[in-house]
Amino acid sequence: MTPGFSYRRAASIKDAVTGLSEGNGRILAGGTDLLGCLRDSVFTTDMVVSITGIKELKRIDETPGGGLSIGALATITEVSENPVIRERYPALAQAAAEVASPQLRNQGTLGGNLCQKPRCWYYRGEFHCLRKGGDRCYAVAGENHYHCIFGGKGCYIVHPSDTAPALIAYGAEATIAGPAGMRKVSLENFFVPPAKDVTKETVLEAGEIVTAIVLPPPLAGLKSFYRKIRSRQSWDFALAGVALAIRTSNGRVTDARIVLSGAAPIPWRLVDAEKALIGKVAGPDSAKHTAALSIKDAQPLKHNAYKIPLFKGMIEEEVANISQA
Amino acid sequence: MNESERNIYYLRGIPVPETPPPGKDPSPWKKTDIVGTSIPRVDAYERVSGTALYPSDIRLPRMLYAAVLRCPHPHAEVMNVDTSAAEGMPGVRAVISGKTSDTDFAWWYSKEIKTKIFDPLCRFEGEEVAAVAAETAYQAWDAVRAITVEYKVLPFIAEESKSLDSSSPLLHPNGNTAKTDKYSRGDVGAGFSEADVVLDETYRTECELHMPMELHGCVASWDNDRLTIWESAQGVYSIQSRIAEILGLPLSKVRVIGHYMGGGFGSKLQPGKYTVIASLLAKKTGRPVRLFLTREETFLAVGNRPPAIMQLKAGVKKDGTLTALEFSCIATGGAYPANGTSLVDWLVRDLYLCPNVKTETKDVYINAGPSRPFRAPGHPQAAWALEQMMDALAEKIGMDPIELRLKNIPSFSQGREGNPPYTTTGLRECLSEGARAFGWEQARKRSSGSKENGHVKRGVGVASGLWFAGGGNPPSTAVVKLFSDGSVNLNMGASDIGTGTKTVMTMIVSEELGVKPEMVQIEYADTATTQYATPSGGSKTVPTEGPAVRAAALSVKQQLLSFAAADLKTDDSSLTLRGDEVISMKDPLVKVKIHDVTGLRKRGVIVGVGYRGPNPERKVVNPFAAQFCEVEVNTMTGEVRIVRFLGCHDSGRVMNRLTYDNQVFGGITMGIGLAMTEARILDRDQTGKMVNRNLHDYKLPTSLDVPKEMKSLPIEKPDDTANTIGAKGLGEPVTIPTAAAVANAVYHAVGVRMTGTPITPLQLCQALEKDGKERSK
Repeated sequence: MTPGFSYRRAASIKDAVTGLSEGNGRILAGGTDLLGCLRDSVFTTDMVVSITGIKELKRIDETPGGGLSIGALATITEVSENPVIRERYPALAQAAAEVASPQLRNQGTLGGNLCQKPRCWYYRGEFHCLRKGGDRCYAVAGENHYHCIFGGKGCYIVHPSDTAPALIAYGAEATIAGPAGMRKVSLENFFVPPAKDVTKETVLEAGEIVTAIVLPPPLAGLKSFYRKIRSRQSWDFALAGVALAIRTSNGRVTDARIVLSGAAPIPWRLVDAEKALIGKVAGPDSAKHTAALSIKDAQPLKHNAYKIPLFKGMIEEEVANISQA
Repeated sequence: MNESERNIYYLRGIPVPETPPPGKDPSPWKKTDIVGTSIPRVDAYERVSGTALYPSDIRLPRMLYAAVLRCPHPHAEVMNVDTSAAEGMPGVRAVISGKTSDTDFAWWYSKEIKTKIFDPLCRFEGEEVAAVAAETAYQAWDAVRAITVEYKVLPFIAEESKSLDSSSPLLHPNGNTAKTDKYSRGDVGAGFSEADVVLDETYRTECELHMPMELHGCVASWDNDRLTIWESAQGVYSIQSRIAEILGLPLSKVRVIGHYMGGGFGSKLQPGKYTVIASLLAKKTGRPVRLFLTREETFLAVGNRPPAIMQLKAGVKKDGTLTALEFSCIATGGAYPANGTSLVDWLVRDLYLCPNVKTETKDVYINAGPSRPFRAPGHPQAAWALEQMMDALAEKIGMDPIELRLKNIPSFSQGREGNPPYTTTGLRECLSEGARAFGWEQARKRSSGSKENGHVKRGVGVASGLWFAGGGNPPSTAVVKLFSDGSVNLNMGASDIGTGTKTVMTMIVSEELGVKPEMVQIEYADTATTQYATPSGGSKTVPTEGPAVRAAALSVKQQLLSFAAADLKTDDSSLTLRGDEVISMKDPLVKVKIHDVTGLRKRGVIVGVGYRGPNPERKVVNPFAAQFCEVEVNTMTGEVRIVRFLGCHDSGRVMNRLTYDNQVFGGITMGIGLAMTEARILDRDQTGKMVNRNLHDYKLPTSLDVPKEMKSLPIEKPDDTANTIGAKGLGEPVTIPTAAAVANAVYHAVGVRMTGTPITPLQLCQALEKDGKERSK
């Protein structure tokens, strides 16, 4: 059962920002995460602001510079099926196609997928954990099978989004509207690790809304791919996921982005492994080396050490595949 | 004859089966025209279109909504309950708890230990503390939240392996052992010394939850001293008797109506505390009360398949002769005696020929929800152990796993006193014909050491099984009414829990009376208006109810022939039913249309009553099974894809091929859940609370987790000794071998033995890494 709240259907972005700024407002876009959080008492609200009527947030447009702007209200299905995305940003289309289930993809939005709350069962359950203002993270000594192996500090969630790693691999930027006007944040800097602030997942301040995600023009010859491993083949978050974007020249890697899902409290970019890959001959040997390097800083908890061979196996498989593609 | 009359009968020009003299059992069907065909469910349209009314759809005038406050701790004493704030809230009409005098009724999960509806000592998370009835569900839940409870939180046990530790808290005064069972035949010590190979392994199956589509609950309503309950139940009479016993009411004053229900898998054989609570709130308020649990509540309080730790030691000779099996098991039925080890050693005792067998099972308490019977209690767990062991033994002696099983097929039940024979066993055919249809030999060779995609390996596996029951039994009473226009009403007490019972019973009436299935109307699952039946479970509904329905139809036919004989001035033994006429077998000109038969016209109806006769003496009626599967394993990530499945089942006569295959595919799907995705997870080291209490975190298999290629191959051996329709049960055997077949296929693919469920990348990835390291040493 949900708490009592007021409901406001915003007519414009400005109207939404105004609505959100009044009291403890929450955005309703697809609603697939909002309703679950309210029902499970993850948070409460006195004002739900629906942005579903704001048409401009639904657009997917090519930008003058040859990139692509995806409105925050574009559904995950639209992202996975959009021909331009499929052609130029295939890892994003693949990641979107791997999200949840068909019903949830039809209803859920790209903005919502990036701003969704973590899926830690302590956070979602009847546990007053650190992220909810409590005094401890239950995952530390608890059932931490699905928790992070990188970047945990105080809190050990994994970031639940499939689309975020793909977007970061392409160097995407979030456009944000707020009481102080518009601003742009690189998606890589959009997420907040627990070491910085354990109660926040994104840089959004009170009253701010993501309005669009802007992708730069794809680099010529870039090969990209998203892979997701999970316990169940549909309606499941990643045990391990990776977005890869690699460019080669004369068989040698010139650019590389490796961003993990299911690994850390934020989408986890493997900068060291990327650097080590540059200049190498793309193939099985460099794939093996990259995979080994990828997991060197992993710090598993009691029940999630499996993620180390899992990420290693997956990264090796995908780097080798993409080299051959 | 007008159009509607013509449409009632199959005008097929052949006689319906012979009519035995009154009091005599009919002969087995030699040839059938309706039974055995593929007929869509008689209620398919209602179910699919949404017009079918399920108990959770019931909305009565003036009805109130109830909600239950449950203990949030796995073990706690209720020191005080303060309901004063809740009582004053808008819409609230009644609040009950252990403090209110009108709730002092006994409750039991099994008869050994009685507790209360609101017991001050809560032994599992989700145990009932108080309940509210209000005008709306929202008001009821708001009021539940306004109740304040002072708990004294107690130490808890979350793992059966720790239940008997001396440091563990006691759940009941007599200790934490609910039950110990021992069985022995022959001399296992001698058996092991005869063996060429002896293997010993520990297996584990996780706790699985039933998760039927329709939630657990009921609507209760009093009319003066008579209580009527609409409940989502597998049997209305079992609800009636328990509620009457608890509330001290005569059976005649408790009416339970079931009708459509959305699945139970064993968890709805009995009423729940919710049934009693709804009845008490309805009594207190003088208004009907609806109490259906939320999905979250059903994760905690309405049963499960008990988790089991099983140790199995087995001896075999080089020629494949099993010499000894020694099995021990610790399992838990939760916080109360609830049959946590029920039948968990049965396959070890009975499935294969083996002279020396010893088993010991121990059911221990933990602070978790009590188990309820779950589709083939004990059997999928035992198959997980035994069938993987058979696979390992076969490998050690260099024999094909199917050949090893074929060498050890019994024709009698060794686990029972006196070794009574099975009426029929199709285990041999399930294995051998299944292997042929699956292409076992080729697939086994093809995938052995397969190099497809390099690190992606294929494997095939087999497992077999039998189901302890499945023969059906008395009592059952069915009534068939033939109306003057020739259409028929079938009245039976049994529930159709989604398996197709109504369809199969319709086909039996149709077979015997020659009426079209759509002319048969069924009244069922209502203690006030339909006949006594035991709940639908144990894979016994068709073999129990089917013979009673056949007998009732035959009684109608006998009476009809007798009336027609009077009209035709002849002897009724010379008459037969053909299409819409009763006709003389001696002179085809001597005949009368059914709707012209004077006796029928005068009475308006012919009523036939049928009873289920006894089972054959000193014989055992069991269904048998073998299932085959092929998997693909990614050795770098531990991902498993099930490529195809074949279910090969001997359940006697196939009554309806469509509902038969539904059962096979449903059972395989559920077995894949046990093998691959499902497990209850308790916060064992901190709070003892269940952490995966929703359908995202508790992973039921989705349509992408079951293979596109699923096949069913019935081994059809009508069991004429078993009963008058020749059918045995099917609903449970179909899920017994599944998980073990998957594990065996995974082993065949990658050489890693997965002894614990579920097989996910969590376990397999590490097992593969460990195996790789050992191999490279």
